Amino acid sequence: MWARWIVPALLGLVSFVTAKSSSGNSVLVILEPKLDKDNFSKFFSGLEEKGYELTFRAPKDTKPAILEYDYAQFSHVIMFAPETKSFSSDITPQSLVSLLSKNTNLLIALSPKQTPVYTLASEFSLTLPPPGTPLISHFPQRDDPATVIPVPVRPVTPNVVSSKLAPVWFSGIPFAYQNNPLLVPILNAPAESFASDGETDSGADAVVDAADKGGEGLWAGSQMGLVAGFQPVGGARATWVGGVEMFSDEFFQKELPGGGKPGNEQFAADVAAWTFQESLVLRIDSVEHHRVNETVPGQVYTTNDQLVFSAYLSKYNPVSSAWEPFSGIQDMQLEFTMLDPHIRTALPPVRGTPGKYSVTFRAPDRHGVFKFIIDYKRKGLTHLHSSTVVPLVPPRHDGYPRFLSAAWPYYVGAISTSVGFLLFSALWLAGDDRAGSAKGKTTKTE
Amino acid sequence: MAPSKTSQPTQSNAVLSLWKAYNENTSTRLKSVDAFLVFLMLSGIAQFLYCILVTNYPFNAFLAGFASCVGQFVLTASLRAQVNPQNRSEFKEVSPERAFADFALGSIVLHFFVYNFLG
Repeated sequence: MWARWIVPALLGLVSFVTAKSSSGNSVLVILEPKLDKDNFSKFFSGLEEKGYELTFRAPKDTKPAILEYDYAQFSHVIMFAPETKSFSSDITPQSLVSLLSKNTNLLIALSPKQTPVYTLASEFSLTLPPPGTPLISHFPQRDDPATVIPVPVRPVTPNVVSSKLAPVWFSGIPFAYQNNPLLVPILNAPAESFASDGETDSGADAVVDAADKGGEGLWAGSQMGLVAGFQPVGGARATWVGGVEMFSDEFFQKELPGGGKPGNEQFAADVAAWTFQESLVLRIDSVEHHRVNETVPGQVYTTNDQLVFSAYLSKYNPVSSAWEPFSGIQDMQLEFTMLDPHIRTALPPVRGTPGKYSVTFRAPDRHGVFKFIIDYKRKGLTHLHSSTVVPLVPPRHDGYPRFLSAAWPYYVGAISTSVGFLLFSALWLAGDDRAGSAKGKTTKTE
Repeated sequence: MAPSKTSQPTQSNAVLSLWKAYNENTSTRLKSVDAFLVFLMLSGIAQFLYCILVTNYPFNAFLAGFASCVGQFVLTASLRAQVNPQNRSEFKEVSPERAFADFALGSIVLHFFVYNFLG
């Protein structure tokens, strides 16, 4: 009697406590002393409301360590230490990169100062401007300093941040994207903005020098990034933010030049949701393959068989903290590969069966060890990869069609030769006596 | 026109005399060998034409059928060479009985392979 309502209540409690992230709820915030925790209270309390457990730590503290016995202690790490030049021994560029390979997500803030983290950015295919060159824009006209800029939010990568957000306040540095397919641009600079070596326009010497030396052109325009994600092959996510102030309470509330609330609060929550693997997280639950009209997967398949391949996909739903069948991908492909893809075909979702993608195709007329490969990589989405090995064999000796009507002339030819041989042999053996006289006659003439 | 008119009868005369000489001088056994050879040749040509003009689809069947004709033709032709009294001097050690036994054994082996390959 008790259990009947206690169990659901406990389950409800558990689901409430469970984090919204697909990869865990522990967050380490490395906050430099200069930045007061209270200045970011809205951002942090927003995370805590979602169910994250935040642990704060100064860059020079030794505990809690981010890695202990080579084991990641936290599911997510927020690096709000943009001006710290020396960290304690466990925070190094190498340890941060190894965190990513252990499926730990990183949210890293930068500043115009040169720090170890600043130099790490180039490993993520982001080119930073010379130290001390913040982003400047004089548009739109406003009372704030030129380095505090309202940036209109345009969807660079779809669905990472909510659509139709109000402009967000930004103060910090821009960066240039290198040509890396793992980069996920999230927010680009306004078209009128540029990087300058001071808060005024009086001297842009450092920028011009850098342009001369590196040949990278001037640091200006909307091709520069302000917030960029990076998703390595393992599925962890790292997000680089040009300035930490955009997460501050001050920028959350600061009124826009045209009036109205800025989009910072929602933007920060969306960026954190993407970084902490809440949004746009997919997985392949299972794949199956079999011949047409069968249900069990074949041990071997024969060349030219009709094969059915199906995959079941799920998407993480942060609201219910559950994986739900997902049929929203229209452009997935299946490859049937032996060294090269012999067949590459669309793998469309099946109507009426949520999460199922299926295709029927004819196996190639080529025997060997083949793989069913799904390799779906799109910016912002979790990379999907699945590989299943199957042998493809030629037909067995009794697997061919026999006694085809088209081959009857050949059968008749072979049979008639045999019959002819038998008749001829019979004639030869029977005609022995008559031939004897002929032989005698010819030998005589010879 | 004129020379062809005159050559027509001489040609037909030649063919006729050849046919006559063949009929008179060839033993019944060799005639039966020749008849078998002609049959094999026609059968092979028919299969080859069918392969070219209609279909070669079960190619193994074509190969088997055609190879049975060619192989049997070769075996029969060698039998004819060995038993022909005019070649007596060349095949002194091969008696006609021995030649027929070789021919029969070779044919049986050939047909074994042909039927193995035909299906």
